[in-house]
Amino acid sequence: MFHFKKKKRSYAGLWIILVAAIVLELTACIQYVFSRAGIRAEAEQRARSELCRAELEINVVTAQMEAAVQMLAMLAEKHVDSPDSIAEATRALVSTLKSVRSAGIAYTADYFPQQGHWFEVCSSRETMDGKTIVYTRQIGNQNHDYLQTEWFANGMTIDSCWWSEPYYDDSGARAMVVSCSYPIRNAKGEKVAVALVDLSLEYLKTVSDYLQVYKDSYYSIVSSKGLDIVAHPDTIEGKKYHIFDEEIDATGWHISVIIPDDVIFADLKRISLIVMLLMLAGLAILAFIVYRAGRDMLRLVDSTAANERMENELNIARSIQMAMVPKVFPPFPDRLDLDIYGMVNPAKEVGGDLYDFYLRTDKLFFCIGDVSGKGVPAALVMATIRSLFRSIAAQEEGPAAIMGRMNDTLSEQNGQNMFVTLFLGILDMHTGRLDYCNAGHNAPVLQGRKLEVVPNLPLGIMQGYVYQAQTTQLEYNQLLFLYTDGLTEAENDSQHQYGEERMLNVLQGIANNRPRNVVETLQADVEAFVGDAQQSDDLTMMAIRYQIPAIVFRNDIQQIPTLSEWIEGLNLPKELDMPVNLALEEAVSNVMLYAYPENRNGQVLVEFARTSDQAGEKIVFTISDTGIPFDPTQKEEVDITLSSEQRAIGGLGIHLVRKLMDEMEYKREGNKNVLTLIKNL
Amino acid sequence: MMITKIEEKENRLIAFFAGRLDTAAAVQTTEDVKPLLQVSDKEIVLDCTDLAYISSSGLRIFLSIRKEAATKGNRVIVRNINADIRQVFMMTGFISLFEIE
Repeated sequence: MFHFKKKKRSYAGLWIILVAAIVLELTACIQYVFSRAGIRAEAEQRARSELCRAELEINVVTAQMEAAVQMLAMLAEKHVDSPDSIAEATRALVSTLKSVRSAGIAYTADYFPQQGHWFEVCSSRETMDGKTIVYTRQIGNQNHDYLQTEWFANGMTIDSCWWSEPYYDDSGARAMVVSCSYPIRNAKGEKVAVALVDLSLEYLKTVSDYLQVYKDSYYSIVSSKGLDIVAHPDTIEGKKYHIFDEEIDATGWHISVIIPDDVIFADLKRISLIVMLLMLAGLAILAFIVYRAGRDMLRLVDSTAANERMENELNIARSIQMAMVPKVFPPFPDRLDLDIYGMVNPAKEVGGDLYDFYLRTDKLFFCIGDVSGKGVPAALVMATIRSLFRSIAAQEEGPAAIMGRMNDTLSEQNGQNMFVTLFLGILDMHTGRLDYCNAGHNAPVLQGRKLEVVPNLPLGIMQGYVYQAQTTQLEYNQLLFLYTDGLTEAENDSQHQYGEERMLNVLQGIANNRPRNVVETLQADVEAFVGDAQQSDDLTMMAIRYQIPAIVFRNDIQQIPTLSEWIEGLNLPKELDMPVNLALEEAVSNVMLYAYPENRNGQVLVEFARTSDQAGEKIVFTISDTGIPFDPTQKEEVDITLSSEQRAIGGLGIHLVRKLMDEMEYKREGNKNVLTLIKNL
Repeated sequence: MMITKIEEKENRLIAFFAGRLDTAAAVQTTEDVKPLLQVSDKEIVLDCTDLAYISSSGLRIFLSIRKEAATKGNRVIVRNINADIRQVFMMTGFISLFEIE
């Protein structure tokens, strides 16, 4: 059975982990696919927007160049024949516009005869030792034959701006540049010179930095003829990539952004890896939990089946109930004037019976009750009642006042609409006066007769109800018997109830009315009546005997048997039962035989006390009578070694008293013989 | 409550004591054991299996039976005494006066 369960458990665990793994894997896949599409779209979007921005920037730069070259041409046309002014114009332009690396004006051959065959005025920006300086000079000569350059030829023929391919300008800008040229006319409208501005590719590169969309992506600006203007980095071979490009209208350049797939998806890959690791860790934790939970569940299934849990709950209720009622008897070993015994026999389905008692200033406060309902709620109400009894009885004196306050508190808190029948009594140990109040409980039995009770409401029904108390007198050695309906309503197999009549009969038939004996006799009788039927309600009984720790005998040896009952009530250690019985019997019968000869009328009083000194605890019996002086201690010791023929019939009694007790002392006090017997405990 | 029952079996007279043999009960028991004192040629068995308690009055009855039997040369056997009674027998030397079974 166990093995089977274990197997089933491990398969179930495996299934849980498998399903979890599949679900997680599917989620991850879907997430990856959607993320990939999203990331691709985002990359495109980003590339396009950066491209647009770069295009705009480059357009600004090229438009600036074109404006600059046209402005230069315009200025040059005004002072076409004044080389100094023209030089000044180029210098001003280079100084003003950062994007312009150099600017120049190149004249047709032999325009200024005194200047020679070539004349080109050029200003260029150069950086030396961290300082930017603009140089202006005439750079046309046979080594720099600008008349042969493409920009001059096109500048002289085309009536608009013309952009060159990138080239290295060795004399003017001294850098990689692209140039924009524009023709200059004289007053007659003849083209006499070409204005030229150079855009440094380095500057263009700083403008194009936006195109670096990803750290590892590429971009390039290519001229209309396919020459690289700007490219970064150099090679993208052997990779899958995305190209995005735009054409610049003015110059015919192509701007491209090239993003390899692995760059676009690098983040996604990293995240996917982390997700996968987290998933694996999660699965491992899940597997561990499933394993542990499976084990715990097995334990749970094995140790506490459903009905066992029920049983547990009942056990809790039973524990509450049993913890609340006094169980140690005798409860007041030092009090010889009081004998109490009580018991609760809880039904299988626990109810809310209780009994309790305690002594305060020589008054015994006691109660017995029955909470309506069963199980834990009833047990809890019972616990409440018990603590209310203890706390309220500590302050109030009268039973009606205690009952009233208990009722008010309970009614106020009574969420469950439970009610409690309760009998509450206060016994004055000095006088035997019993004040009591009965809240709907079964009337107790005093010395075989039901106590008269007025019909007060049970507790918990009506707040503010005024309870009515009653009083009676207990005589010495009378027994007050209290019970719950678990006794009278106990049913046998044929659904007959035990009944009040049978209870009263049994109570009246009990000769030995020690509380413990009475309770146990009734318990045995009700058990015999019920037979095999299941006990349906709690069975609770309590008996109280108000007694005097002394016994009086008439001068009649037939009174002797009551001695053993009296001794039983003293609650002495069991091993003292026989020795005390025998010693007292011998002492008392000696008095009857010798102090009261010829059946004289007289009494023998036996008193009991407990004392203690340095030697320890001891019990003391004092036997007194008003007979003729008689000192048993003077009796001769019996020789127990003699044979039966030699031995006298008498004298054994006092011998036994000596043997059984530790001390024996006789005194004649007035008209009394007083014999003291002491036994060390 | 004390009950004494006497049975004759083979060559024995057996007295069964049940209850508490105290001073009060001894009055009746003294009457009940009279057949034991009158017998002349039989063994006497005092069966104490159900005897719970004995006081000196009871011991006196036992001793008188023992004395009477001794004069006739009869054996007296005390059977099945409980621990309490054995203690009393020890204290009074009765343990050596009777054959204890």
